[in-house]
Amino acid sequence: MTVSSNEAPAQSGFSLRALLIRQEFILFVITIVGVLLLATQSDKFLTVDNILNQGRLVTEVALVALPMTLIIITGGIDLSVGSIMGVCAIVLGYSWKNLGFPLELAIAFTLVVGLVAGLLNGLFIVRLGLPPLIMTLATFALYRGLAEGISQARSVRGYPDWFFEMGQKNFMSYEKGVPNQLIIVVIAAVIVGIILARTPFGRGLYAIGNNEMGARFSGIPVFLYKLVIYSFSGFMAGMAAWIYVSRVSTTRSDMGTGLELDAIAAVVIGGTSIFGGSGTIIGTVIGLILIQLLKNGLALSGVKGDSTTIVVGLVLILAIVLNNFIQNPPEWFKRRFASS
Amino acid sequence: MTAILELESISKQFPGVKALNDVRFESQAGEVHALLGENGAGKSTLIKVISGVHKPDTGTMKIEGMPVHFDNPRQAQLQGIATIYQELSLYPELTVAENIFMGHGMRRRMGPFSVLDWKAMNEKSLELLTSLNIHDLDPHRKVGALTVGNRQRVEIAKALSLNARVLIMDEPTAALTEADVVRLFEIVRLLKQRGVSIIYISHRLQEVFDLADRVTVLRDGHYVDTKPVSETSEDDLIRMMVGRTINDLFPKLPSEVTHEVLEVRDLCCKPLTKNVTMTVRAGEIVGLAGLVGSGRSELAQVVFGITPAESGQVLIEGKPVQIKSPAQAMELGVAYVPEDRGTQGLVRQMKIRENVSMAVLSTLMKGIFVDNNAENDLADKTIKQLSIRAYSREQVVNKLSGGNQQKVVVGKWLASKPKLLIMDEPTRGVDVGAKAEIHRLISELAQQGLGILMISSELPEILGMSDRILVMREGEIVAEYSRAEATQENIAAAMMSDAVRNMNNQRKLSESSKV
Amino acid sequence: MTASTHSNSGAASKKDGGFLSSLRGFFGSQEGILLIVIIVLMVAVGTSNPRFLSQTNLKDVFAANAYIAVAALGVSMVIISGNIDISSGALVGVLITLSGNLAVGLADAGWPLMLVNIIAWVAPLIGGMVIGAVNGFFVAYLRIPAIVVTLGMFSILKGGLILVAGGNTIYNLPEGYTIAQQDWLGIPSTIYFMVILTIVVFLWLRYSATGRSIYAVGGNAEAARLSGINTRRVIMITFILNGLMVGICSLMLATQFNQIQATAPPGLEMFVITAAVVGGVSILGGTGTVLGSTLAAILVKTIGSAMVFINVSPYWLKAVQGTLILVTVLVDVLRRRRQSRQ
Repeated sequence: MTVSSNEAPAQSGFSLRALLIRQEFILFVITIVGVLLLATQSDKFLTVDNILNQGRLVTEVALVALPMTLIIITGGIDLSVGSIMGVCAIVLGYSWKNLGFPLELAIAFTLVVGLVAGLLNGLFIVRLGLPPLIMTLATFALYRGLAEGISQARSVRGYPDWFFEMGQKNFMSYEKGVPNQLIIVVIAAVIVGIILARTPFGRGLYAIGNNEMGARFSGIPVFLYKLVIYSFSGFMAGMAAWIYVSRVSTTRSDMGTGLELDAIAAVVIGGTSIFGGSGTIIGTVIGLILIQLLKNGLALSGVKGDSTTIVVGLVLILAIVLNNFIQNPPEWFKRRFASS
Repeated sequence: MTAILELESISKQFPGVKALNDVRFESQAGEVHALLGENGAGKSTLIKVISGVHKPDTGTMKIEGMPVHFDNPRQAQLQGIATIYQELSLYPELTVAENIFMGHGMRRRMGPFSVLDWKAMNEKSLELLTSLNIHDLDPHRKVGALTVGNRQRVEIAKALSLNARVLIMDEPTAALTEADVVRLFEIVRLLKQRGVSIIYISHRLQEVFDLADRVTVLRDGHYVDTKPVSETSEDDLIRMMVGRTINDLFPKLPSEVTHEVLEVRDLCCKPLTKNVTMTVRAGEIVGLAGLVGSGRSELAQVVFGITPAESGQVLIEGKPVQIKSPAQAMELGVAYVPEDRGTQGLVRQMKIRENVSMAVLSTLMKGIFVDNNAENDLADKTIKQLSIRAYSREQVVNKLSGGNQQKVVVGKWLASKPKLLIMDEPTRGVDVGAKAEIHRLISELAQQGLGILMISSELPEILGMSDRILVMREGEIVAEYSRAEATQENIAAAMMSDAVRNMNNQRKLSESSKV
Repeated sequence: MTASTHSNSGAASKKDGGFLSSLRGFFGSQEGILLIVIIVLMVAVGTSNPRFLSQTNLKDVFAANAYIAVAALGVSMVIISGNIDISSGALVGVLITLSGNLAVGLADAGWPLMLVNIIAWVAPLIGGMVIGAVNGFFVAYLRIPAIVVTLGMFSILKGGLILVAGGNTIYNLPEGYTIAQQDWLGIPSTIYFMVILTIVVFLWLRYSATGRSIYAVGGNAEAARLSGINTRRVIMITFILNGLMVGICSLMLATQFNQIQATAPPGLEMFVITAAVVGGVSILGGTGTVLGSTLAAILVKTIGSAMVFINVSPYWLKAVQGTLILVTVLVDVLRRRRQSRQ
């Protein structure tokens, strides 16, 4: 798996022209256009109810897309987030129903399991030098296998009412309020975004993505940072599991299937280079909105649920081609729009 | 002796730099022709033109009198030009025979198909190796499992399999052991006898005198001269390469040498640090000389915490410490300007400001966030102090010249206010003007009380700058000279010892050497 | 599992030297170990539960799952060249649907039966190669990492399939269509496919220049380029061939029962990658043989079947697969690191 890092500048300087061809800006424009289009297509679209509901639906992907951004910035990838979510969902149900944990403990345990699953990824990647693609491909299979094995295809139901607060209710239980999980997502996005942009940790991640050896030689604790981001990824997948189970009131071993696709697509569409070294949380957020928008639009025009992946796949590939184009423009483009 | 290769008026321009300027070069069958020049003189561009990797902007190339023109490396290979680069071009998971014949396999017919004939290739590989007096290499072995010396021999056999008339070797002895160097020389002489023309690039002047028949010197992309080795001397060559006498280059200022900053006792770390004991004092410049592969950078990286020591002691200002990471080293006042500034010293896609602050970012904080003002100030100060030529602190480091990039790396480490500054090849790939500036800077730093350990492969630099000179060979410190008693001869001798002198003894060594 | 210092790319090491030493070389290699493990496993489970060795069960283990080994041939080539393909499952779904619908549609339209069947058999092969070419184009010429291209392609194909066919079952397949159900000379036809294709691909990789160059591109792309190998063309070829193999796999799967489920067989791509990796195709590229991947496909299926017969829940099979991949990759990475330290 040879992935070369590109030589383009990590973050372009400020100039109107540079702003215009930044991926985030283009996306933003596309998003606005998309919103307008869909609003004219269906009158059910631009209602507060629908928008908030979409926010509820996008939570799981959003939660794992945040650490995924960090991971891809460092030049890595995490294919196992969907499987971690699956095994966490199962663990939640299993530890409550079969092991008799009090539900609060089961939830906490689930989060710990997610963290440990991510930590395992990180350890093998850092200590044993396994390429992230390969390690997370193996755990993609392994964790899903554990989910199937532990659950034996049985689902767990019958949770107490308070459990559904998180997934199904709104903030302070307003009838037309903001869904609880959306608040969590927004807070998480803000925190992670600030950390990425304004702290030495964030700066260090960009350095690792551009030149890991150079970062190490500069005293940046590369191994530690990597352990942190992969563990964080697992933890968020655990959170996603908790919220999802709370929303759909049941646990099944195939939960989270395809989560990695959506998360990676959101990150890449948001302007993060798949080769590492650049990207922002804002971009990822816009990417998430765009994808959810697409899914919503498709659903409103009667397209069957799972087939929305066709669009996500297309958009993913288009986004990467676009990203490549921006990072390594061909000669004819450079001559016309020479950037700083 | 007939001229095999003739180049005339070759020029090659890259964005921002003219690598070759009206260069001429000619080599004959059966000779070893050394190609000398400082870094950036144009040697590697020239050989890439010869081997078809680059197309020259102007000029002509002739092989045995016939004009040729290469669009890609394969065409050059077909004309009998083989190149062995420093980073060997091999497939570690494939066997010796597979490596030798990849891209031009031997075939036979099997029914209607033309298939690869492995039996023939294995036999031929053995034949090629034997003809080079290599009897200890099995064509079925995976190349990845071989030592560096053996891998190089596979590359040479590969060149032979292409019926090379011209063999270009770029710094072939850089990563070899003594015994391997001896065997290499034997092979080169064998090839010479067979009429192969060998173009040999090396920084080790001694090798030029031991092996080469003629030597061509390039300087700053220009052709200087070609002389028979017998009619020149090291000083002569240095003067041709550098254009100045040694003294001009190294403005050494006097400084007061005081307490010990670094002491290392019996430091060991596999594979290349063996029982190293040495000291560096404040205000002192200690030069560390040695061939590539002698363990100098490895020693630096042990002290700096990249590869922590397995045994032995490290003392900083008299206090025993255990350095397990670069961050720790920094805290203790140790800084390391690495050998390869592109991959180790800088993050090239980032700006000057970001690179300068990279090591000390945690000290430029406002609460939990980075203090942008403090960071900007540091960058501006550094640019001014080191006379870094750039548009602004926001310029991406990749766009700077080699000399300015090196200054950014030095600036980064000066920001950590070190007590001990280890510099690994501080002026490699730096133009002569910036070189002098960096040397002056090093002198000033010593004057200000830093202890400096300077690793360098350029003997004149070592001699010109150091107060004391240590010589490393194969992981150990084998000699120490004061500024007064050091000469190029005794340092070079210590670096290479009896390796090249006494051929007969070394033949015994090579027979028992590992495969 | 892999301990030998001899090339695991199949070339050279077996022919020379005495018969005994080459025998030893075989059994020390990944392929040999796999064969031994398969035999041991079968004996062990067979003694504890003799029904495991019954003809119907063996037929199930070998014949009914031969299609996986065929797909593994394709993905092996892609992995050897330094890339990866996780879209096989979705592609298979699309191709079997294509084949089935063509067969039923053309037969209903009154076309001659022989022609209908031939078209329905060939269509998945062509379809596979076309998709393979698309993947190859993005990876080789637009330089987009294979993981992303095939991840995207996977979701496009899967989504597209649901959109178009929505999980239907295709009935009323024309007569003569289901060749995978036939026995030729007493051996199930699928076994012929598996064995012959394995041998052909193995020979091609070992004895043809293009086949060898796949190892070069995967082992050291830069060196390959300097040797004059057209790396882009080679990568394109591996993806097209992979598409062909997936096409043949689809053919085998489509013609196996009297109806076709128009969905992507779940978990197929992981199964196929597991077979390749456990079979000795290093996921880091540059080495491995398809003999190994076929044996590994058989091994994993044997384990799956064995689990049923010794009363371990089949729901643990995926976990076993994941562990196998992890262990194999771990051993491979550690071996390479130890080697490069010399």
